[in-house]
Amino acid sequence: MPTTETEFLHEVAAGEYKYGWETNVEADTIPKGLDEDVVRLISAKKDEPEWLLAWRLRAWRHWEKLAANPEEKYPRWPHLKYTEPDFRNITYYSSPSKKPRYESLDEVDEDLLETFKRLGIPLAEQEKLAGVAVDAVLDSVSVHTTFKEELAEQGIIFCSFGEAVQEHPELVQKYMGSVVPYTDNFYAALNAAVFSDGSFCYIPKGVRCPMELSTYFRINQAGTGQFERTLIVAEEGSYVSYLEGCTAPMRDENQLHAAVVEIVAEAHAEVKYSTIQNWYPGDNEGRGGVFNFVTKRGICKGDHAKISWTQLETGSAITWKYPSVILKGDRSVGEFYSVAFTKGRQQADTGTKMVHLGKNTKSTIISKGISGGRSNNSYRGLVKINKGAENARNFSQCDSMLLGDRCGAHTFPYIEIKNPSAQVEHEATTSKIGEDQMFYCFQRGIGEEAAIKLIVNGFCKEILAKLPMEFAVEAQKLLDIELEGSVG
Amino acid sequence: MSNSDKTTSLEASFVDAFEAYAGKPPPANAPMPVNGLAPLNAMQGFRRQAMERFRELGIPSRKNEAWKYTHIPEALARGFAVFTGGSIPDPGAAETAQCALAGLDAHIVVLVNGRFASEHSLIGNLPEGVAIGGLGTAASTHPDILRNHFGRYASWEEESFTALNTAFASDGLFVYVPKGKVIEKPIHVINLQKTNERLFLQPRHLLVFEGNTQAKIIDTSCALTGDATFTNAVTETFVGERAMVEMYLVQDPGNDHAVVSTTHVYQDAASTFTAATVTFTGAVVRNNLNVLPNAPHCETHLYGLFLPSGATQVDNRTLVDHAQPDCVSNELYKGVLNDRASGVFNGKVFVRQDAQRINAFQENKTIVLTNEATMNAKPELEIYADDVKCSHGATTGQLDPEALFYLRSRGMTKQQAQGMLLHAFAGDILNRISIEPLRRMLDERVTRLFGE
Repeated sequence: MPTTETEFLHEVAAGEYKYGWETNVEADTIPKGLDEDVVRLISAKKDEPEWLLAWRLRAWRHWEKLAANPEEKYPRWPHLKYTEPDFRNITYYSSPSKKPRYESLDEVDEDLLETFKRLGIPLAEQEKLAGVAVDAVLDSVSVHTTFKEELAEQGIIFCSFGEAVQEHPELVQKYMGSVVPYTDNFYAALNAAVFSDGSFCYIPKGVRCPMELSTYFRINQAGTGQFERTLIVAEEGSYVSYLEGCTAPMRDENQLHAAVVEIVAEAHAEVKYSTIQNWYPGDNEGRGGVFNFVTKRGICKGDHAKISWTQLETGSAITWKYPSVILKGDRSVGEFYSVAFTKGRQQADTGTKMVHLGKNTKSTIISKGISGGRSNNSYRGLVKINKGAENARNFSQCDSMLLGDRCGAHTFPYIEIKNPSAQVEHEATTSKIGEDQMFYCFQRGIGEEAAIKLIVNGFCKEILAKLPMEFAVEAQKLLDIELEGSVG
Repeated sequence: MSNSDKTTSLEASFVDAFEAYAGKPPPANAPMPVNGLAPLNAMQGFRRQAMERFRELGIPSRKNEAWKYTHIPEALARGFAVFTGGSIPDPGAAETAQCALAGLDAHIVVLVNGRFASEHSLIGNLPEGVAIGGLGTAASTHPDILRNHFGRYASWEEESFTALNTAFASDGLFVYVPKGKVIEKPIHVINLQKTNERLFLQPRHLLVFEGNTQAKIIDTSCALTGDATFTNAVTETFVGERAMVEMYLVQDPGNDHAVVSTTHVYQDAASTFTAATVTFTGAVVRNNLNVLPNAPHCETHLYGLFLPSGATQVDNRTLVDHAQPDCVSNELYKGVLNDRASGVFNGKVFVRQDAQRINAFQENKTIVLTNEATMNAKPELEIYADDVKCSHGATTGQLDPEALFYLRSRGMTKQQAQGMLLHAFAGDILNRISIEPLRRMLDERVTRLFGE
């Protein structure tokens, strides 16, 4: 019956955030504000070498120039409506507890462990059972890294960004900013100036990483921006699957998250990057919620390299995110699989860029958008085939599903072709859950809520199946929870 | 820096031309311009506003998202004199005749440099109440129609070229078909260009089809003399309740002529509007086609075929703005790009809140023939209603090698095989043209282009 279906969807759209609580961990936080001193202070707190400070300062000066001319330089082109954050009124560094490093789980604050438990990542258990090495980032400092030693045996470096700067400066210096330079965009510049921590991952030549590497991000301290940087380097013939998950406790004001992820894949290397993002989306009136402005890009540097992005986006008040692949090596492959779910007053403008430079390069884009409530969900993607990219191939598919009559679903694909041998296909559809589909379920005794979950899950199945096992289950659960109203 | 200076001076030249024009009384022998007439006296202030807006918006550069792929300031850099009337050259009967379509029995309207030329037009017998002529004279013969429709659909607040055209609008095609009338024969509009200097032409067309009417319009261009022109045309079309209107625009002015053609169509309940835009040549061709089905049960069909070669840039931008429920729209644009040509397709389907049960389809297919040609496609959907079926598809590629092989294995040369396949590719659009002589002419033109 359509009326109850509507009611259910309304409830779904009005569903409250299930991860909203605050951990009372003593935090080492610097005062609000943004100027050159803050950049120097962050660098000093992290005991960074001179070259990194110099790089931060170059980025800072660049950002200042951009910020001085917001009319032209601030990214206003997305299909998003929000008040721009006051960048001078944010805390740019927050570290849990006075003592930022832990050697073993015993040293970790009880509250902190509880936080992880409630999030569903029992660190200790995962250590033993799942074989997942978790580099947990709480606010800005990496708290705990598991399985590090086991990985080290194979020559794999998996550590916090700060550690990498201290211990592997030559690698960081070589690759940092090589895929996303600080001049790339407004937020990339900001991140480069004030980034606090992040993850670093290096897979040596010919090594197949034996386990999924995973990082959890949490924004905890009120009014703190989280500016992490992730750098993944996969040497020739190596393989790694990297998972990233995020949740943020409930907050009234908007929190800013401006991350940068860089991936370098050398010849025959393969990197699979999976994300589950469920930052706090704000309440039903659109108050609060995380501003998620992320620059993610990978480069297939060598021939036959492959980078694959898979994402499930259910959170954030504002999402501005375009995980991209530069296909430089011949026969390299780029993939983007995405499910974006928005409800309440959430707004998402997300998609990908596939830049084909090498010959016989291939890219696949599959994007599923689901919008409910008063949310707006946009796909924005670019497929660019350069002159030298002989026989490039792209297939893009963007499907949108609308769960109400007050939300919006939009598609803005850009297709730019400069080579006649390119074969590029794009298709997009927009629809709602079919009455016939609902009828079919009812007929077989499947209740309304279960039917909607079933259909939405089916709609996303293609993408969820791309996630690593542990994640796929979690993702499906998350989607179910997001869809859950008070019905049942 | 030098580029922006140039742009500023480009705009200044239009502002100067406007000041000279707005203060000048209409020449005695010319058809009365719209602004000289009593019912539209208010226009004077309106024009100034439009000019102000143009000054604010400026000539769109590539920084402007909507013009990102088309190089307008470069096309204007050659310098054009703004044509504001004065004497209209006589194109000559023989030359005019050669621009007509063979075998087409039509009401022929000739516009010379955007001005209605009654002595060359062969309008013939029309049903009672139907008017076909110039917009300039229509201001005195049909003041009510102008008051109700002129400037109502082509909003100039956000489009600098529309603002510019509005500031200078004085003549162009005027068609009025009162309730219930059917025009059996097509209306053929021949746009003649005859000039010995580089001219910036700004024809303004108004087409009003009231309820239960039927009409077909063909718009072709014909450049008779050497010098380059830049045409900034604006067409406003009102399609009344249950009216059925077909519009065919053929753009083949030669590679020295730049065109920005903006068409706004307003559809009333249960009306059907079909447009086909076929582009062969031009320096820069930009077509803005905006359709607003503003009542339920409308049907909209937009077809396009662009076959540019040389250094021609063709930029097709369409918008179907579904403001009301229960409408159907269907769009198919196909292109073949040769030499250094560039093509753009930017189609947008907009479904507003509560415009439920919309069925919208949009498709763009392009074949790129050379390494130097470029195609940019941006098919967009912006949807705010849930009970809709909207989809789009865009493909860019080359001819199917298997099909080529099949034909060649049957003894065809590569050129013949390619020509045949390209012809078939274009046929998808040509076959939708319901006026046989026009279809035949285009078919022959395509054959000449691709070889047998």
